[in-house]
Amino acid sequence: MRYVKAVVSVAVLAAAVWALQTPHGMVPPIGKLANPYAGFWRNNASSDKIPKKLDLSGLKEEVQVVWDDLRIPHIFARNDRDLYMAQGYIMARDRLWQMEFIARYTGGRLSEIVGPRALDQDRYHRRLGMTRAAENLLKGLEGEADLKESLEAFGEGVNAYIRSLKKPRYPLEYKILDYAPEPWTPLNSALILKYMALDLTGGNKDFALTRLKEAMGEGVVDELFPYPAPFQDPVIPPGTAWDFGPKPAEKAGRPRGPTAASPAAPPGEASETDPWNDFIGSNNWALAGTKTSGGFPILANDPHLALSLPSIWYAVQLSAPGINVYGVSLPGAPGVIIGFNERIAWGMTNAGSDVLDWYKIQFKDADRAEYYHDGAWRKTTVRREEIKVRGRASVVEDVLYTHHGPVPFPEGGTPVDPDLPPGCALRWAAHDPSGVVRTIFGVNRAKNYEDFREAIVSFDCPAQNFVYADAEGRIAIWHNGKFPLRKKGQGRFLLDGSSAADDWTAWVPMDEVPHVENPKRGFVSSANQRPADATYPYYLGWDYETFERGARVNELLGAMSGAAPEDIVKMQTDALSLRARMALPRLLPLLPSAGLGSSAAFALEKLKKWDFVLRADGIEATIFDRFWREFSSAVWSDEFRTEGRSFPTPGSDVTLDLVLNKPNLPYFDDKTTSAAETLEVIAAKAFTAAAASLENEWGLAGEAWNWGKARGTEIRHLARIPGLGTPLLAVSGGGGTINNVSRTSGPSWRMVVSLGPKVEAWGVFPGGQSGNPGSRFFDNMVDAWVEGKSFEIVFLKTPEEAHPRLLGRTALGGRR
Amino acid sequence: MIPLAASAAVLLVLHLLTPWWWWVAVVPFVYGLIFAKNDERAFWEGFLAGAAVWGGAAAFFFLTSGGLIAGRMAAMFRLGKGWLMLALTALLGGLVAGLASFAGRSLRK
Repeated sequence: MRYVKAVVSVAVLAAAVWALQTPHGMVPPIGKLANPYAGFWRNNASSDKIPKKLDLSGLKEEVQVVWDDLRIPHIFARNDRDLYMAQGYIMARDRLWQMEFIARYTGGRLSEIVGPRALDQDRYHRRLGMTRAAENLLKGLEGEADLKESLEAFGEGVNAYIRSLKKPRYPLEYKILDYAPEPWTPLNSALILKYMALDLTGGNKDFALTRLKEAMGEGVVDELFPYPAPFQDPVIPPGTAWDFGPKPAEKAGRPRGPTAASPAAPPGEASETDPWNDFIGSNNWALAGTKTSGGFPILANDPHLALSLPSIWYAVQLSAPGINVYGVSLPGAPGVIIGFNERIAWGMTNAGSDVLDWYKIQFKDADRAEYYHDGAWRKTTVRREEIKVRGRASVVEDVLYTHHGPVPFPEGGTPVDPDLPPGCALRWAAHDPSGVVRTIFGVNRAKNYEDFREAIVSFDCPAQNFVYADAEGRIAIWHNGKFPLRKKGQGRFLLDGSSAADDWTAWVPMDEVPHVENPKRGFVSSANQRPADATYPYYLGWDYETFERGARVNELLGAMSGAAPEDIVKMQTDALSLRARMALPRLLPLLPSAGLGSSAAFALEKLKKWDFVLRADGIEATIFDRFWREFSSAVWSDEFRTEGRSFPTPGSDVTLDLVLNKPNLPYFDDKTTSAAETLEVIAAKAFTAAAASLENEWGLAGEAWNWGKARGTEIRHLARIPGLGTPLLAVSGGGGTINNVSRTSGPSWRMVVSLGPKVEAWGVFPGGQSGNPGSRFFDNMVDAWVEGKSFEIVFLKTPEEAHPRLLGRTALGGRR
Repeated sequence: MIPLAASAAVLLVLHLLTPWWWWVAVVPFVYGLIFAKNDERAFWEGFLAGAAVWGGAAAFFFLTSGGLIAGRMAAMFRLGKGWLMLALTALLGGLVAGLASFAGRSLRK
C-alpha cells in the first residue's frame, strides 16, 4: 500500500512538472511563465528606469544617451561606428523580440518557434525568395565600407545586448512562446528592409485581372479597371513640364538595367489575402513658405500600415560629427527612415507603381529542368530551402528559379496562397541588389537638396513618393524608385514567359521619374494616387489608390494660407469623406421617403443633415459605410458571382463614376432577376438592406451604431497574442479620408516639421517606445493618437543641453 | 520549524540565483523526504513554503512595478483582474511544492 502511494504520488508530481514545463499548442509553459523569479513578473515596469551607465564593450569612445519624457533616446556619439552600435544596443533593449520576430517572419522561419501551424506562411516566403532578396541586398553593399560598417556595428550593438541578457530578463514573448534569442546578423537587418518591400510592393492584380479577362473579355476589364482611374488628381500637378526629352525611353546608349546575365534577375510576390498586408496607404505633403505663417516650409507625413504592438516604429535622435537627425526607425535596421535634421525634412508614401510581373513558363517536361524562352531551352536552377519545424522533422522545399526569378507555385504542387498563379515565374524589383541602405545613410546626413537627390537615387524598392522641404525654403516631391521600362499596359496581366518580348531589360532613368520642385501652387503632396498626368512619357502601372484622399489633401492645401504647424497637425486627422460628399447628393434623392422602417427612416434623416465627416461619436459614418457596401455589392455581385472563382471587385472610384456619370450602363441591372433594375431601384434596395443589417447587428438606430464602436479600431499584438493589444478604440476617420483608419490599420506615425533657422516638429504614433507590455511606455501614446494630438518633439543640439522634458541620461561605455 | 524555514530559504536562494522554476518542486521534495513528519503535514508545510516563496516575490512585484504586466497576463488568460495573477502564482507555487513534499514523504518507509 505504502509502495503504491509512493509510486502514484511521484508519478503525479512528475506529470505535473512536465505539464508545467512544456508548451501545449497555444498554451505557454505555465511553470516557467509563472515563476516570479524568472517568468512574466520580471517583465515589469522596472524596465522604465534610466540607468546612469551601461556597459557596451567595443565602443571606441563613450556614447551619451539622453532620454526625453516619452522615453525616446537621443544618442550622441563621436563617430559613425559608435553611433550605429549604440543604436543597435538601445533598440534591442526596447525591441529585441519584435526585431527578431519580423526577421524570422520575412525569412520564413516561424515554424522553428511555433511549429507546423506556421508552415504555409514560411513556405510562402521561402518560395517568394525573401531570404535570397535579403542576401542580394547585402551583396550590393560589397565595396561600400561605410554602409557595411553601419550594418555590422548595429548588429554588434544588438549582440552586445543579447549577451548581457540573462533568462529572467528575456522579453515577455520569448517566455510565452518558449524560445531564446539568437545572435543578430546583418542578414536580419536586410530581411527587415525586405519586409517593407514585401508589405508595400509584394502583390498586384495581374492574376486576378487575367482570370477576369478570360471570363469576360478585355473590354470589361478596361471598363471596370480603367487606367487612368476616374477623378484622379495626380501627385505631380497636371501641366508640369518634364525637364527631360519627349521620348526618353528611346535614348541611345542608356545603361541597360537588369539583363539575363545580371545576378539581379529574380522576382517575388505576395498577396492581398496576406493578413499583414491588409490596408496600406499614406499621406505626405510640404507647403512652401509662401503659404505658412512663419514664411518657411512645413512638411507632413503619415504612413498608414497594419498597426501592431510593439509599435511599428521606434523614434530616435542620432547625432555624431556630420549627422544630427531625428525621426522614426524600423526595429532591426540602422538609421532613421522618416524624419528631419537641422536643415532638411523628408517623408514617404508608397508609390504604388507596378514592380512585379508574372511570366507563364513553358517547361520541357515534368522534371522542369528546362523551359522554353526566346527560341531556346534554358536551364532552371533549384534553391533548396530547409524549413525547420519545432517538434517535427524539417520540411524541404526545392524552389525552382528561371532567369526571371522563382516559380512560387509550380503546377501540381500546393499553392500555399490562392493568389499565386500556377506555373508562373516571378520578376520582382525587390529581388535585385538594393541601395536603400545608401539612401537612409545619405538622407540622414543631407544638408540641402543636392545631397537629398544624391541619396534617394539609390532608393530602388519599395518605390516611394519622397517629399522634401528644407530650411532654404525649397520643396519637392519625387515618385522615386526603380521602374522597369514598359510598353503601355505591359504587366497588367500574366505575361508570356516563352518570348523575350516582355522581359525586363532596362529601367526608367532615375532622373526621369515623376517629380516636381517648387511648383507654382505652393505645395507638393501625395496619397498613393496616380503619379502623373497623361503627358508623362513612361508607363509605370495602373493600380493606384482611389482619388479621395489625394483630392482632399490638395483641396485643403490649395485653400490654405498663413498655415501654422497646428493647422497641419489638425489636418492630419481630417475625416471628411469625399466619396460621401460626391455620392450622397446623387443617391439620397433617389431613396423613397415613405414606407421605411423606423431605423431606416431615422438613418435617412441623419444622412440628409450630415457634413460627410466620419466621426467616431456619430452614427452617420456607420450608415454611409454600410449603405455604400450594400450598394457596391448590389451593383457588382451579380456580375462577379461565378462558380467559385474569385474576381477582383471594381474600386469605389469606378462605382462612383458609374453613379455620377454613367447611370445607363447595364451594371445596375441585377442579372439574377428578370426585371431591369435601375440605379434608383438598386439604391433603395441597398439602403433598406443596410438599415436592416445594422439593426440586426446593433439594435434600433441610435448611439449603439456609433462609428467608433460599430467599426472601431484595434491595435493587435504582432504575434496576435491575446491581451497584449489595445481594446477597441473609437477613432474618427476611415478609408478614403486623410485619417485613413480601418479596423486594424491606420496612420502608423504622424509627423509635422516646421523648417527655418530653428527646426520645430511634432509627432505621435499609436503605441510607445518600449516593447515590454509591462512598461508604462508600451502604449502611452495611444490615447493622444486617437484624439488626434501630437507631441512636440524634443530635438537636441548637444547631450548637455538643458530641456524641461528630459527623464535622464545614460553613459554607454566599454570595459577596457 | 527550523528545517521548514531553512528549506524555504534554500528555495529562495536557488530561485534568486538561477532561472529554473522547478526548484519549487525539487526543494520541497527533499524536505518531504527527509524532514516531514507525516503525509498531511508534508503537503501543508510544502504548500506553505511554496506559496510563501512564490507569492512573496509576486506580491513584491505586484506592489512595486508589476501591476501592468499582471493586468496584461490576466487579459491573456482571460481572467480579468491583475491581482488574480498574484493569487494564482502563490497558489501554483503552493500546490507544486505541497505535492512535491507529499511525494517525497511518501518515499519514506
